[in-house]
Amino acid sequence: MKFILNYIRKETWSPYVAGILLGLVGILAVWLSDSLLGASGAFENLAGMLGQAVAPQAFDNVYFNFIMPPGFTYGVILAIGIFFGGMIGAASSKTLKWGKKDAANSDPLWKRTFGPQVWKRWVLAFFGAIILEYAAGIAGGCTSGLAISGGMLLAPAAFLFIAGMFASGIVTALIIYRKRY
Amino acid sequence: MATSLIALFLGVFFGFSLNKAGLTKYNKIVNVFRFTDMAVLQFMMTALVVSMSGLYILRGFGLITFPNIPGTYIVGNLVGGLIFGVGMALTGY
Repeated sequence: MKFILNYIRKETWSPYVAGILLGLVGILAVWLSDSLLGASGAFENLAGMLGQAVAPQAFDNVYFNFIMPPGFTYGVILAIGIFFGGMIGAASSKTLKWGKKDAANSDPLWKRTFGPQVWKRWVLAFFGAIILEYAAGIAGGCTSGLAISGGMLLAPAAFLFIAGMFASGIVTALIIYRKRY
Repeated sequence: MATSLIALFLGVFFGFSLNKAGLTKYNKIVNVFRFTDMAVLQFMMTALVVSMSGLYILRGFGLITFPNIPGTYIVGNLVGGLIFGVGMALTGY
């Protein structure tokens, strides 16, 4: 018992143990609610809700009417859960940085690569997130929604997506890090 | 209501496992593309293997039916994946 508690308090688990936990969550998602895990869809649902309130005509298209219906969906609640789950995880290992000084930009590797300025982190996160969300829209899911959830149903789409993701991720990392790669 | 609670419950464990695997950190995500830390792949593939075998066993017993399988659009999936990788390596999310 004590061993388990101590393990829960560790900052990083073995990725295999954490992977087993996520695998079980994936099974339960299908078993209990007949749906798949996913994170990117939630933001599209919320964006659709916002967009239809502000500019109904612009959002009256096939994508928002049929593929990603706006609203407070299952995915949105799941995303809220992910947020708090991550916080609980960090709190359990006492690494929660909420309200701390370097909360927004605390990663040493990031600081070495791009500089210590916090605004840079925000700007890059913002534009990077636009790229991520847009790409997830094209592919039909993100790492969790397509690669993991689709992969566990053996969907070919998931494996195409993983291949593409790693190919361009490796090239991008090569460009950013050049000699230090 | 019940499904919302299930979603919240599953989401919490999802987030918890992501945090514990270190996938909430920039260096873990970018280092998998630099081949210096394979935690992301180990985590993803373990999750895949566990849920894949679990789901197919449960379906074999007739306990579950599969939800809609994500559609295959070869160009869409590939192009989406290619753009996604750029964002992933840039932001580390």
